[in-house]
Amino acid sequence: MHGYATPLRFGRILDAIYPWALAGVLVLAPVGLWMALVVAPPDYQQGDAARIMYVHVPSAWMALFVYLVMASGSAAALIWRHPMAEITARAAAPLGAAFTALALLTGSIWGKPMWGTWWVWDARLTSMLILFFLYLGYLALHEAFDDPERGARAAAILALVGVVNLPIIKFSVDWWNTLHQPASILRIGGPTIHPSMLWPLLTMALVFKLYFICVLVLRIRLLLAERRLASLGVERG
Amino acid sequence: MRLRKRQRLLLVVLVLLLGAGSAALVLAALGEKVSLFVSPSDLVARPLEPGRSLRLGGLVEPGSVERGADGEVRFSITDGAHSVPVVYRGVLPDLFREGQGIVTQGRLEAGGVFRASEVLAKHDENYMPKEVADALKRSGHWKDGAVEAQR
Amino acid sequence: MRAAFALLRRDLLLARRRAGETLLVVAFLALATTLFPLGVGASPDLLARIGAGVIWVLALLAVLLGLERLFQPDLEDGSLEQLLLSPAPLEILVLARCFAHWLATGLLVTLTSPLLGLLLSLPSEALVALPIVLALGTPTLTLVGAIGAALLVGSGRGAMLAALLVLPLEIPVLIFGLGASEALAAGLEATGALLLLGGLLLGALALAPLAIAAALRLALE
Repeated sequence: MHGYATPLRFGRILDAIYPWALAGVLVLAPVGLWMALVVAPPDYQQGDAARIMYVHVPSAWMALFVYLVMASGSAAALIWRHPMAEITARAAAPLGAAFTALALLTGSIWGKPMWGTWWVWDARLTSMLILFFLYLGYLALHEAFDDPERGARAAAILALVGVVNLPIIKFSVDWWNTLHQPASILRIGGPTIHPSMLWPLLTMALVFKLYFICVLVLRIRLLLAERRLASLGVERG
Repeated sequence: MRLRKRQRLLLVVLVLLLGAGSAALVLAALGEKVSLFVSPSDLVARPLEPGRSLRLGGLVEPGSVERGADGEVRFSITDGAHSVPVVYRGVLPDLFREGQGIVTQGRLEAGGVFRASEVLAKHDENYMPKEVADALKRSGHWKDGAVEAQR
Repeated sequence: MRAAFALLRRDLLLARRRAGETLLVVAFLALATTLFPLGVGASPDLLARIGAGVIWVLALLAVLLGLERLFQPDLEDGSLEQLLLSPAPLEILVLARCFAHWLATGLLVTLTSPLLGLLLSLPSEALVALPIVLALGTPTLTLVGAIGAALLVGSGRGAMLAALLVLPLEIPVLIFGLGASEALAAGLEATGALLLLGGLLLGALALAPLAIAAALRLALE
């Protein structure tokens, strides 16, 4: 575990991952988009408007997944004082906030024609909005202290507290009568989405994940570099 | 040091007990179905005084939709067991059609008619191409228990 | 345990010596309530419709406004260090502190809510329902708020940041508290919402002290 605690070794792992992830994005993104926009058939009820799900669903999944990454990093940082875990969590947070914003935005655009409203205060939408604010709170708390160490660890505690929101988001559509549809894919009894639409969706999900890994690596490198500069006494311009 | 250890143990037990109690209460509450809207059956079971604003949800009863000349739409919302007549004036969402799950915001008027100020369509979790949907309908496997799926 | 009671007694004694602050909370609640008839118009219909929500939001604000005094003074006069050095588990001490804080805010809101409800022309059923539900919901508001207060101890950041950290986590209490209050006032059953509020309270009792204690230890590292 602590073998990877030095920036040097950690950096080597990052260097090994990055080209593969980048290549994956560059190859799969056009394929995924082509599958989603051209190959996939229009939905029997929603027609072509349903195509927005190829962006909406992956970004919503990533919103939750990135929070998990952030929370696990925070836990490792608090328990083992693992500095790289802390940096990973910090680097992931703005990405998670962006994915959450994207999911909310595309959902809103989807909701207007289909449901007839941009926004409704049902359990799924409200809990997603809470997730967005949790990301913002995490970032703000990080910057709230003169001592960056203190800020990082306070934010880590907040990230762990916020984990209670994840199951609420996932199961809100099953527990409550929401306007939002129940789960189509990760559900008991198998997906209720036709394979001709499921495969483009899964491809897009993979593209989103690889893209996240790419940007995460870049952001970690940035934070490591900033940290080195700070230790050398250079202020960030 | 031993005291500390016993305290820790006690704390852990306390946290677990409280956590279990919390989980039990939350699970019990989920059985009560807190929901965004009430169903026609709820309205029949617990009649409300007219004029109260509420959200009513269910399926658009097939064959009940009448479009008036002045842009007023009349239809019934059903949950299989009971149905409530609804009047609405305004733009309907794309997905509004017979048999579709919808949620309406409005007030119950005297006489049991629900005057909706907003109609929202709820779509289910099924996605498929039109041809597949048609084939399923032809073969008679079309959404066994559609009401259940659109709950 | 004895240490927790001693801390509680000290906090209550301090609170009694500063009875003015208690009055201040009541005055804040009354004043903030009068803003609504003046702000949205004094139509009794409208007020009755939003009244319960107004009181819940005020309860949340009262808790938020008190957060800064929850741990910050202890940090400044050094008694926070004493709490940490005490052989009693910090989690229990923290719970005692939260209880004292609740007595000075949540309980006050609970007790004054029928009065505030009158100002907002709430029906008599709501005046009975509100205190019951508030009594169940406000402790959770305090416990969750205390997490934010503990995280921000010593940061010198004001209530704005505390609100950003705490409000998202308080929203569920607000939703189900309001749901239960309105359902009870309308003569409907509110078992689901009340059970959820109870579940939230127990969950907060289990987890909040852990997070608060961790945050306080961090503050003094």
